[in-house]
This record gives sequence, structure tokens and C-alpha cells, in this order.
Amino acid sequence: MDEPLEAWFAREILAHEDALVRYLRRMWSDRDEIHDLRQETYIRVYEAAGKSRPHSPKAFLFTTARHLLADRIRRERVVSIEARGDIEALDVLIDEISPEERASAHEELRTIAHAFERLPPRCREVLWLRRVEELSQKEVAARLKIREGMVEKHVAKAMRRFADALFRGRRVRSRKKSKRAIDGEDEHVDQQTD
Amino acid sequence: MSTSRQIEAQAASWLARRDAPGWLPADEAALNAWLAESTAHKVAFVRLEAAWNASSKLKALGAGFPKGVIPAPGLWRRSQFLRSRGGSAVESARAGTGPRIGSSRRRGRLALYGLAASLLVAAVVAGVWLLWPEGSVYRTAVGGLEAVPLTDGSKVTLNTETDIRVQLSPSERRVDLEHGEAFFEVAHDAKRPFVVRAGDRRVVAVGTKFSVRRDGNEVWVVVTEGKVRMENRAAQSRAAPTQSPTSSSGSASPEVVFLPAGSVAHAADAGVLVKEETAAEAEAALSWRQGYVVLHDTPIADAAAEFNRYNTRKIVIRDAEVGQIRIGGNFRSTSTDAFVRLLADGFPIRVDEREEEIVLTKK
Repeated sequence: MDEPLEAWFAREILAHEDALVRYLRRMWSDRDEIHDLRQETYIRVYEAAGKSRPHSPKAFLFTTARHLLADRIRRERVVSIEARGDIEALDVLIDEISPEERASAHEELRTIAHAFERLPPRCREVLWLRRVEELSQKEVAARLKIREGMVEKHVAKAMRRFADALFRGRRVRSRKKSKRAIDGEDEHVDQQTD
Repeated sequence: MSTSRQIEAQAASWLARRDAPGWLPADEAALNAWLAESTAHKVAFVRLEAAWNASSKLKALGAGFPKGVIPAPGLWRRSQFLRSRGGSAVESARAGTGPRIGSSRRRGRLALYGLAASLLVAAVVAGVWLLWPEGSVYRTAVGGLEAVPLTDGSKVTLNTETDIRVQLSPSERRVDLEHGEAFFEVAHDAKRPFVVRAGDRRVVAVGTKFSVRRDGNEVWVVVTEGKVRMENRAAQSRAAPTQSPTSSSGSASPEVVFLPAGSVAHAADAGVLVKEETAAEAEAALSWRQGYVVLHDTPIADAAAEFNRYNTRKIVIRDAEVGQIRIGGNFRSTSTDAFVRLLADGFPIRVDEREEEIVLTKK
């Protein structure tokens, strides 16, 4: 419990962003609102976790998302679902990488490499020069022949794009797990985080 | 731009500024004040910061690259590094299902769709040949949605449980709507009017877009583009129907009604009711083409009836009170389950899911 909330949040919650976004997309037809719903879910989880950390972060994250959707109907009496499946089954949990599978350093590097692969050219350059070659923003500007004032904007953009790419994960799907595996998987997560 | 995106942009600016030279204690204080303002700020910042911290690990990947060389896109995709080799049981179980597989699977799926589509076209063409000259028959099952291209360049989209017969002759393009709902995108041809017959009603167009829905003697017409003419075949044999409240010019006689774009007409034995909507509202009434049911301040009773058109497992409302609650939103027309669960979550409604029906009662 001494671990900073930020670190806990990044490891236990942000790791499921891909699955969360897919879940929201499945339930909500308005694509423009997905970002907002995602952040709103994070806010609720973050605030709740500030009081006490949930035992099963993954299950808690999705329950929070579901309640958020339900609240939208209650409050606005307007809801858009694009649910092909079942809103309560949360079958998105089946095909995601669990934290323990992610844990190896090798896995993590692969995820980072893939995120980098997905970046647009200018973001790649900026991120590489700044993070790998460790050039200062000023040096990056000189190397890329862009105005110094512009580098900060490019760095900001690269940060956002990299975060999106990173948390989108690698989309490895495990076909072997059946729907019934959900319960077992959650139990496993429980044990791990206790 | 949504607020959450604006906040994310602000968080990124803060991080980028902190990363730049000349970051002072005063800046740090300003950042902390911004973070303390709301959890929304905090969460957006934590997320980007976590990614930014992770990006320092790119250095491990850069080990093999000479200084000043930025790896070309796709380079790692082919490299050994990104392939699973040995390692845990989990990894070896996934050997060969590297990240590339996701996209190739998707491609495979697309190819399948393509194949299915061309088979459909083949079937449609075969249908035209086999059934000529009686016309070709197209049908969809409950929950079905199908687009059928016609040889004159027009396109027909069939909604759930629909049955049409198409006959194209040199003087007329004729569609008999036996049952259901279809959207017509009519290729312009002034010499060959496009006539849709729905029971006693005839809807005539030259080149326009409209939908016709028929349920027994009731007919609904929605026009999204151009203009159509609706006629009543058997009008003479009946008492004069009630006048439409907003009859457009030329529709003085109720037997013939002109419907411009944006019209939503409902014809029953009693007569024709025409509502003039905006083009966007008329489009919303046709959201079934995308597989959606769009509700706008709609009583649950009506919403359930709409869902029941698309699903064999029907929603049954036991308490009238439940049926009167009004809701709005866009729903996937075939996901009744999700719809009723959201009702149960958001309203005092109990959902009893049985094998053959879903019963809604007051909680």
C-alpha cells in the first residue's frame, strides 16, 4: 500500500486500456465520446483507489465502466449501445493480456517497440532523438531543422501518440480461453494483487 | 474536440515543457496547482507520464543502431527481436502468433467478406436469370439486412423480414413490396419510372432516394432525396380519407400526394399523414441501414415493438407503466439483451429473460 497511486494506476489500470476501449466501443456507438468515457472511467477508478485499492483492479475497472454507462442513461436518459454481445458478460476480458503475461521485460520491450512502430514519422524522429540518443529539445530542433519553439509541440504530440499506441497493446488473442475462463482469470488476478 | 481531449493536450504541453530546458521551481508549482485542480487533469497527466517514462526503454532497442540513425518503419517488424522465441509456456504457446498476425487475420477476414459479397452478387445474378420474366424475388429473415444492386444501376437495401419482387421492363421499373421495409436508391431514368407497390399504395419516382415500409395495409414512406409521388390505387372505392395536415402543393387530392425530401408519410386505411422533417431527421428514421434502432424520447412500448421486428425472441411488457417510460439513444437492432439490461440498470424495471421471450415488469 505504500506504492504511489500513480505507479499502481499505470501498472494495474492503464495496462487494460486496449480492452477497456474495445469494450466502450462495443457498447457505445458515438466514437467521439469514447475518449471522454475512457477518461471518465479512469477518474472514477483513480478517486476510488485513492481511498482504498480494489482487490481485483481489472474487474473493478470494467465494473466502473459499466456503471458509468448505466449512469448516462439514468441522468440523460440517452444511451447509445453498439453491443453485439452482452453488456454484463464483459467478454472483452477473454482476449486480453493479463498483467502476469505482460510482466516479463522482454514482453514489455516488444510492446514498446510496437508502439514506436505505429507512430507517424515526425513523432518517431522526435521520440528517438530525445529518448534514445538523449539529445536535448534544442539539439533535436537543430537535427530536424525545425524551429526551437516547435520542438516542444512535437514532443507533446509524440507523447500523446506514443501513449495511445502503447496502451493499445499488442492485441494478442488467446483463442484457447473460453468464456467460462473469465471467472478463473479474475480469481487469478485477485491472488496476484493481494 | 471533447473536453477530455483538451485536457489531454494540456497535460502533454505540461510534460513537454517540463522536458524542455529552463524548467523552474515556479513552473513546478504551477504544474502542481494544475494537477490539484481536478482528477481529470491528474489522470490525463499520469497516463501520459507513464507512457513517457516507458519510452526511455526504447534505449534498449536502440543498442544495435549507430548514433544518428533512426530505425526505418517496419524494420523491427521483420527483426528477430519481435518474434517470440522460447521463454515461458505462455510465449511458446503463442509462437508464430506475433503481432503481425492480428492484421493478417483481419485481412483474412476481409478476404472472407469479399468472397461472401461476390457469392452474394453471383446468387443475385443467378436469381435474375432464373426468375426472369416473372421478376426476381429477394427475401431477408428476421434481423436480416441486405443490399441488392439492380441491373439499371439502382440499389435496394432490404431491412429485417422483407420480401420484394423486382421486374425491370423497357417502360417501367417495378418493385412489389410484399412485406417489410426497403430503401431505394433509384438511378435516374426519366423514361422508365421506378414504381414501388405496397398493397394499395404506389410510390413513383424517377431518380431519388426513399424508403417504403409495409405492414399489411399500413405503409410508411421516408424520402431523403428528390421527390416521390404516392398514389392510392383503390381510393375511389372507399370513403374520402382524412386530409393530411401538411399537404404539399399538388396534393389537394388525397389520392395523390407529392412527397419532397424530408417527408415522412404514414398511409393507412384512414388516409395519409405527412410530416415534414429535416433531411437529417429523415435520415435518422433510416438508421436501420446501419443496423441501428434510433430512439428519441420514445416510450419503451414503442421501442420494444421496434426491437421485436429484428429479433425472434420478443420483448414482452407486462406493466403498462413500464411501457410509458421514455428513452432515447442509438441501439444495435439485434442486441435486445444489451438493451434490456441497460433498462434494468437505469430504470426501476425487472427483466426476466426466458428462452422464448424477455418479460419486463415493474421493480
